[in-house]
Amino acid sequence: MTGKLLKKEFTLTMHPTVPIMLLLGTMVLIPNYPYLVAFFYVTLSLFFTCLNARENNDAVFSLSLPVKKTDLVRSRILFTGIIELSSVLFAAPFTILSAKIAPQGNAAGMDANLVLLGQALLLFGLFNLVFFPSYYKDISKVGVPFVKACVVSFALVAVDICLCYAVPYVKDVLDTPGFAHIVPKTLCLLAGALSFTVLTLAAYKVSEKRFLKLDIR
Amino acid sequence: MSILEVGGLCKNYPGFSLSDVSFSLEKGKITGFIGRNGAGKSTTLGCILNFIHSDSGEITVFDKSFSDDEAGIKQKIGYVSGAVNFYPKKKLRSIAAVTKQFYSGWDDAAYEKYCKLFSLDENKTPSELSAGMKVKFSLALALSHGAELLVLDEPTSGLDPVSRDELLEIFLTLKDEGKTILFSTHITSDLDFCADNILYIQKGKIAAESPITDFVGKYRLIEYEKDSLPDEQKKKLIGEIRTKNAMRALIIAEDRELFGLPAEKADLESCMVHLEKESDANDR
Repeated sequence: MTGKLLKKEFTLTMHPTVPIMLLLGTMVLIPNYPYLVAFFYVTLSLFFTCLNARENNDAVFSLSLPVKKTDLVRSRILFTGIIELSSVLFAAPFTILSAKIAPQGNAAGMDANLVLLGQALLLFGLFNLVFFPSYYKDISKVGVPFVKACVVSFALVAVDICLCYAVPYVKDVLDTPGFAHIVPKTLCLLAGALSFTVLTLAAYKVSEKRFLKLDIR
Repeated sequence: MSILEVGGLCKNYPGFSLSDVSFSLEKGKITGFIGRNGAGKSTTLGCILNFIHSDSGEITVFDKSFSDDEAGIKQKIGYVSGAVNFYPKKKLRSIAAVTKQFYSGWDDAAYEKYCKLFSLDENKTPSELSAGMKVKFSLALALSHGAELLVLDEPTSGLDPVSRDELLEIFLTLKDEGKTILFSTHITSDLDFCADNILYIQKGKIAAESPITDFVGKYRLIEYEKDSLPDEQKKKLIGEIRTKNAMRALIIAEDRELFGLPAEKADLESCMVHLEKESDANDR
């Protein structure tokens, strides 16, 4: 049933900005730019999707279908995960290209490399953990959960920029273009993937419990 | 097999409570669910469909509870709401394509038949449809998956008299095909036309559950001059209201000899109006 609901998410609920924001992975080619912001735009399109769901009475439509109430949460978070992972995969070849065309690196935060992709996954995991449990408390209020998630996302961007300037290990090893120091960079990517998985699962569990208690009117 | 059984359903909101709502539906009958705005009709239907989390009570549909098999139960239910507008900017074709994949019993031929019958153009969007056509589209979706129980939440609100009559005739045809219909409305004349049973909710409590003829047959309507009745008779009046030329009230049919006045048979609307008036007076 989750597969069918997922198809519904893509055909009916998805906001048109989602595929556009996915293309913003190309922003890693911009010289001296806080690249994590490109991934923040993806979360913005996910917020629009939830807004779109509210404006189209998606919850009542979906709940009148032969599905369990909890299936709705699972399919929305799965849809979100697919979009988030797609954006990281889409950005990956451009991070390689970025190292080739701008070997001097990025002066505004992390260089376009594997660590950046790990950070993007951490950003998505944090977004999911902050946004969804708050959203599923009351799906008619989409703005407040997004503001909370924005605060966390931009805090992460700020921390990233500070670390790149202030911590020598980050500056000399992690914040370097291309595949230099490949082992620690790969470990950072894996840590990002692990945190994404754990945080998204936690978001799903809490959201599911809250949505079960929510009255859809 | 029981179609729908609701027992001891309670739901508390600030300023409103659904208290101990219990009823059951007979197979192949149209049950009119009446009550004034805010009486608890939509909350009850919301609880039945698991849109609303009840505080306590038991709901079984086709002998199963939602906690046992929510998706399986919904395969046999068709929900139609007159008030809600789903995906107004998507084509009917797209909404139907998404909907059909969820139902094992979806019948394309039936869907096409209902689209033709209701003159639905699948290339239109719900926003391009009138209120009546929107209800017809929801109904076409509900009927194309072989729903045995139709839950209709104020489907005739906002419809013109011709469209209402058309829809009511469709409900009667569905009843003949053995479908069970729970029909919530505050337009009681619709129920005079098609309902077999009546379920009357008043301030979150079930005030009556009976065949419609028994319910209206219990009462009579009388008209009288203001202050013309003695106190003993005044005590027997139910929901006294002022009309253009006189006063009007409901009485229990057996009491009509006591008044010695012409007593008319009451229709559903008069019963509801006077019973609500009486309830408001008792609360004051």
